[in-house]
Amino acid sequence: MNRHALFLGCTTPTKVPQYELASRWVCKYFEINLVDIEEFGCCGINQVNLSIEAGLLMAASNLALAEDKRLDILTLCAACAGALAEAIEKLKDKSTKDRVNEKLREVNLEYKGSVKVRHISRVLYEDIGIEKIKKEVKRDLSGLRAAPHYGCHYLKPKSAFGGFEEPDNPRTLHELVSATGAQPVKYETLNLCCGGKVFPVSSDLVYSLVQKKLDDLADKEIDAMVLQCQTCYLMYSDRQKEINQKYGEQYNLPVLFYPQLLGLAIGADPVKDLGLNLHMILPDKIIAKVI
Amino acid sequence: MNKIQKTTEIKQSAYFPELTPNFKSEVLTHPDARGLNACFSCGTCSAGCPIHEVFPEYNPKKLAKMVRLGMRKRVLSSPYIWYCATCHNCEQRCPQNVKFFNILNVLKNTAAKEGYAPTAWVEQIRQVIKTGIVFSTEDNWVKKREELSLPSLKEEHPKLKKIIESTCIDKIKPRADSV
Repeated sequence: MNRHALFLGCTTPTKVPQYELASRWVCKYFEINLVDIEEFGCCGINQVNLSIEAGLLMAASNLALAEDKRLDILTLCAACAGALAEAIEKLKDKSTKDRVNEKLREVNLEYKGSVKVRHISRVLYEDIGIEKIKKEVKRDLSGLRAAPHYGCHYLKPKSAFGGFEEPDNPRTLHELVSATGAQPVKYETLNLCCGGKVFPVSSDLVYSLVQKKLDDLADKEIDAMVLQCQTCYLMYSDRQKEINQKYGEQYNLPVLFYPQLLGLAIGADPVKDLGLNLHMILPDKIIAKVI
Repeated sequence: MNKIQKTTEIKQSAYFPELTPNFKSEVLTHPDARGLNACFSCGTCSAGCPIHEVFPEYNPKKLAKMVRLGMRKRVLSSPYIWYCATCHNCEQRCPQNVKFFNILNVLKNTAAKEGYAPTAWVEQIRQVIKTGIVFSTEDNWVKKREELSLPSLKEEHPKLKKIIESTCIDKIKPRADSV
């Protein structure tokens, strides 16, 4: 059986529980067994700003907690996947690993180096597979035009992900969207960053980045953006509303998580199972189209 | 020989009063900054940087050059070093395999120690020490978890707290002219 430690991260459980809800539903459906480890904390990605060492120790402690249960990690957040995978790369260096373990021992933890970290989309892509997903589709999503958005840390640094994706020409989310029957739409700003990691320091930078993507998508008759990271989600949905208020724009583009799109395709209840009623921009038109 | 040295000194004080010639060596002592010497200033990092595109003052190529020139104070006190969105395009595309993202983190760590850290990041550390994550567990959305039958969140993370405090990162003070 496919068993993973579920790494929730910081933002999904506290700000975007609908992503967690839909992910748990989809994993249960495909018999991906998720184990909750309540001692998991922040992955450390933002803490490297002030201390590279603190960020590494935080990542390593989470890795050690999963190892202790002999589980690999499944993340919902692209940035957590990136930060933990980067830490694994760094900890391959023996002196770094020894130094980190010296600190971890003080809290009865040890990082051995056996744990693997993958994002939920990658687990769906690699372990369930496109063909199996296609077979499970029960609703017709062929009328949906979706703009995939990958999230930087799902793709980069490439070295941390063992060449799973080609950062400048990614394909897995396109294939996963296609598997549901929806049409992944090509657009120029596909690889444009959401800016989420700079939001605490400068909201204006984020508004500029978000607006560029929304402008690009405006004339492409898109029903929804489909993404796989809650930070990207908050930038494109909540910030979309703020941009409308601040600059008098009229953007109204629903943003879905991939497990929600997949759930819709394979027969989940849009509210009870997927939490689509909790989105900032309600995807009512999409639900009406497919149900 | 003496004459040459003297000329250099005069030049430095006249034109570059704030240079710290050994700044590059100081940065290079951190293993994460390895590769800075390989940079040949082609500008691929800046060309692919989404932040540079919307805010030209944030310029990875320029920052790398400023470090090599020894412009220590200008670099560390600059609010722009905190503007990286961490997209990793710069290191992904660098023909010399320079990991600018990592070099920038070394610069930010040094700047933080000298009192230039943005309030947002300092506060985030304090929050992680309290709740183990970067947000409060009192948010309205957290209350919603019960309605959704999602497991409750652990409110304290003593191990993580101890680990973080061992690095003294919690002693960092935010910059006075807060970004």
